[in-house]
Amino acid sequence: MGLSRREFIKRTAALTAASCAGVSLTLPQAEEAQAFDADEWVRGSCRLCGVGCRVELGVKNGRPVALRGVPDSKTNFGYLCMKGMLFYKLMGHPDRLTKPLYRKSKKDKFKEISWDEALDIAAREFAKAVKTHGSDSVAYYGSGQALTEETYLFQKVMRGGLRTNNVEGNPRLCMASAVGGYLTSFGADEPIGSYADIEQATCFFLIGSNMAEAHPVLFRRVMRRKLDNKDAVKVINADPRISPTSRVADLHLQFEPGTDLALLNAMAYVIIEEGLYDEKFIGQYTTFRMGKKEEVSFEEYRSFLRDYTPERAAAICKGNITPDKIRTAARWFAKSNATMSMWTMGINQRKRGVWANNLIHNLHIITGQLMKPGADSFSLTGQPNACGGVREGGGLCHILPGHRLVKKDKLRHQVEDLWGIPRGRIPAKPGYHTMAMFTAVNQGKIKAIWINCTSPAQSLPNADLYRKGMAREDLFMVVTDIFPTKTTELANLVLPTAFHFEKTGVYGCTERRSQLTWKAVDPPGEAKPEVWIVREWALRLAKELDDPVIAKCVAPFVGKEEQYELPEAIWNEYTQKLTKGRDNDLRGATYRVLRQRPDGVQWPAPTEEWALKGGTYKKFVRGMDPLADEHAKDEKPYQFYGPAHPDKKLWIWLRPHKGPEEMPDAEFPFYLSTGRVIDQWHTASMTGRIPELMRANPYAYVEVNPRDAKRLGISPGDMILVESRRGRNLLPAKVYEGPVEGMVFVYWYDQHEDRLINRVTKDAFDPGSKEPEFKICACRIKRVSGPKVLKPYLASITT
Amino acid sequence: MPIGGFVITVTPSKGQQAVRALSALDGVEVYGSGGDGEVIAVLETGTSKDMERLVDRISAMDFVASVSLAYLNAEDEMLQQ
Repeated sequence: MGLSRREFIKRTAALTAASCAGVSLTLPQAEEAQAFDADEWVRGSCRLCGVGCRVELGVKNGRPVALRGVPDSKTNFGYLCMKGMLFYKLMGHPDRLTKPLYRKSKKDKFKEISWDEALDIAAREFAKAVKTHGSDSVAYYGSGQALTEETYLFQKVMRGGLRTNNVEGNPRLCMASAVGGYLTSFGADEPIGSYADIEQATCFFLIGSNMAEAHPVLFRRVMRRKLDNKDAVKVINADPRISPTSRVADLHLQFEPGTDLALLNAMAYVIIEEGLYDEKFIGQYTTFRMGKKEEVSFEEYRSFLRDYTPERAAAICKGNITPDKIRTAARWFAKSNATMSMWTMGINQRKRGVWANNLIHNLHIITGQLMKPGADSFSLTGQPNACGGVREGGGLCHILPGHRLVKKDKLRHQVEDLWGIPRGRIPAKPGYHTMAMFTAVNQGKIKAIWINCTSPAQSLPNADLYRKGMAREDLFMVVTDIFPTKTTELANLVLPTAFHFEKTGVYGCTERRSQLTWKAVDPPGEAKPEVWIVREWALRLAKELDDPVIAKCVAPFVGKEEQYELPEAIWNEYTQKLTKGRDNDLRGATYRVLRQRPDGVQWPAPTEEWALKGGTYKKFVRGMDPLADEHAKDEKPYQFYGPAHPDKKLWIWLRPHKGPEEMPDAEFPFYLSTGRVIDQWHTASMTGRIPELMRANPYAYVEVNPRDAKRLGISPGDMILVESRRGRNLLPAKVYEGPVEGMVFVYWYDQHEDRLINRVTKDAFDPGSKEPEFKICACRIKRVSGPKVLKPYLASITT
Repeated sequence: MPIGGFVITVTPSKGQQAVRALSALDGVEVYGSGGDGEVIAVLETGTSKDMERLVDRISAMDFVASVSLAYLNAEDEMLQQ
C-alpha cells in the first residue's frame, strides 16, 4: 500500500534527523521517502553566524521548498538552529530590492534607474572625487557577510585601480581584537585548532560569549560533551551577565564589566604559584614580552603577576567573584587533560581587547593547553565570512590578501606583481580604519564611499555622530544590499544584490574552513551578484579616469558568465596566486575540490590531494600541518612558523589590568552592555523580515537586574529611558537575573530610533586593533512610564 | 503546512518520560530515541509561525536541553508566497 505524500515527507524528516543523531530508525519504504520532496538539493553554507553550518537547499520548479543539514559535515553534523532553518524565506521576500535606485540629493525621493545608468553614475562620482580630491577621498566599507570573491575583487579595484587602501569592513567592529591577539601571541592570525577539539576537551572556559544564543549549533556540541561526561568535563562560564550559556556551567564567574584582565591575570598567578604550569612547553616554545622588542624573564613575569593575587583580583572584579572561585577556575583550567577556551565580543569589543585576547592565550601557553587534541584558545566569529573574506582576503585597511601587511614593501610589491600592475600602484600607507574612516566622512575628507552588505548607520557606536557624516550632501554614498536598511536611508545610489544561494561563492568560517555555496535559484528582479557589479563599475571607472591599470584589475574576468564562471575565476586568482606561499595557502581548495567535500577545506591546504582529505585540522603540528613540515627549523613536534614572530615562538605577554574608557560615576551610574538575542541577527535587516523570528523578539528590551529594578521602582514592561553622554533610548524593561547588579544590557538589533542602542554606546576603541568598546560605557536609567504598546520597526525606501 | 525533523536532546535519565510528554503534544510525532537522550521527532504545524511556537514550548520543558533542526519542508508556504 502506498504512502501519502505528506507521510513520505514526514519520514524523510525523521530519517534525516535520525542520521544526525546516529539513531537507527526502521521505517518501511525509507529509501523512497528520502528522494521525494525536491527536484534538486543544492549544497552550501548557512547565511547567518560564523559557525559555517552546512545545509542543502531543496529546490522545486526553481523555488526553495526545503532545507536540511548535511550530516557528513564536521561543522554541524546535520544540525541547524532556528535562524538557519528560516533564512531561505528571504529569497522570495516582498521587501527585496529589485531595481537600482538613485537620488542626486539625500533630500529627494529615490527613483528607479537602469543598471547602465547606475553604474555610470557610480563610476562618474568616484572618478570625480579622485580627480578633484585625490585617491584617498574614496573608500570601500564591506562586510564579513560578503563572499570572499566579492571582498577580494572590491579591494583589488580600490587598491590597485583607485590607488587607495581605504578598504575596511565590519569585522573591524567584531573581531579585530582577536586578530591582534593571535598575531601578537602566536605570530599568526586565526585559531590553531578546530571545532573537532570540542569532542576531546575536558574543560571549557567560555568567557565573554553567549554561545548558546549566538552560536547555538556549536554550543550544542559543548552541551553534548558535558551531558555525556558529566563529572569528567568541567564548564567555566565567565561573564558579567548570566545567559543561557551559563546553564551548563559548573562555575559561573560573574564579574563587573571591564575587570576581565584582572581575572585572567589572577588565574595565571594561581597557575604559576601552585606550580601548575608546563615548564617544558614554556622552555621549548615561548618567550615573555613586555613590548614587541622587550623580552623579559619568567621571574619577571612571576613578579608582575604578584599584583594579581586572587584576593586583589576579587576586590577588583566584584560581582560574585571570590578568591576561591578564581583558584578553582585556574586549577580546572590547568589540570584538565585538555582545555578549550572560546570567546567572542565580550572580549573583543573592549578598549583593551587585544590585551584580553593575549591574557587568554597566556593561560593556554603557560599550561601547555595547546596543540594537543581538545586543547585550544579558540576565538569564535560572529559573521559567516569575516575570517575567509575579510581577514584572509584583504578586507581591512592594513592588510592585503594572504595575510600580507600593506606597510611591508616586499609583500605589497608581491601583490602588485601578481596582479600585473606597476609597482608603487598600491600606496605604502594603510588606509583609514573603520572609526577613522567614518570620522573622515564626518570631516568631509571622504567624498565617495561604497558600502557593501552592511549597515554602519546602525552598527557603528555613537551612531548619531557618524550618521551626520553619512547624511552630508557632499558625500556620494553607494549601498549594495538585499533589503532597505538604516544605511540605505542615507544613500544616493542603492544597488540590489543577489542573496545567498542566488549566487556562487566561498565563505570561510571560524575554524580556517572554506566552503562553497552554489547558486540554486535566480535572484529576484534585476538584482545582481556583487562580482558582476564591481567588474562593470571598474570598466567604467577606467574610462572615466582614462586609466588602463583599473581595467587591468578586472581584465582576467571580462567576458565570464556571472553566476559560476566569474566567481570561480576570481577564486582561482586569489587562491592560486595570492595564497601561494602564505600561511593561509588555499591552492588545493579549488571549486572542484570544494564541490566534492561535504564541509569544505581547512587551510593550510597547498595541494588538491591534501585538500581532498579536508586540509589541516591543527596548525603548527608536524605530521598534521604540511607547512609545519615545510618550515621546520628543528626536530621539535611544533613549528610556529607564523609571519609575525621572527623568533618563531609563542609570546607570553605581561599585560596589566586596565578598566574601560568610561566608568560609571555619580551622573551616569550604570554600566551599559549590548549583545544578541537568539532570534535576531545583527541589524535585523534579514531576521526582522522573518515573522517567526520577529514574533519572539519584536523589539529590543533593556535587561535590568531585579535588585536594581526594585531600588528604582521598575517593573517588567515599564518604559525606561537609557541615557549616556552621547544619546538616549526609550525601551521596555525586562527585569531579569541576567546582568550583574549595576549593569544593564540591551539587544542591539532594533532599527527603531527609540531603541537603536548604538545611539547610546561609546566610540572609544582599542589602540592596537582599533575595535570599538561596544560592550562597556556608562549610562543612567529612569522609569518613564508603565508599559506601552510598541510596534516592530524596519527601515524602508520610498520611491 | 511545514514539516520539520528535529533532534530533541533530553536529560538521559528522563528519556522515557520525555518521549511520553513529547508524544502527548499536538503536532509532535516521536519516531525513535537513542540511549543518550536524543529523541527523534517530527513536528507538523499549520504555519512556520506555529512551528516556532511549538519549538519554544518544547525548549521550555524541564527535561529538554536543546531542540535542533535537521530538516524542514515548507513547500506549501513557499509556493503560496
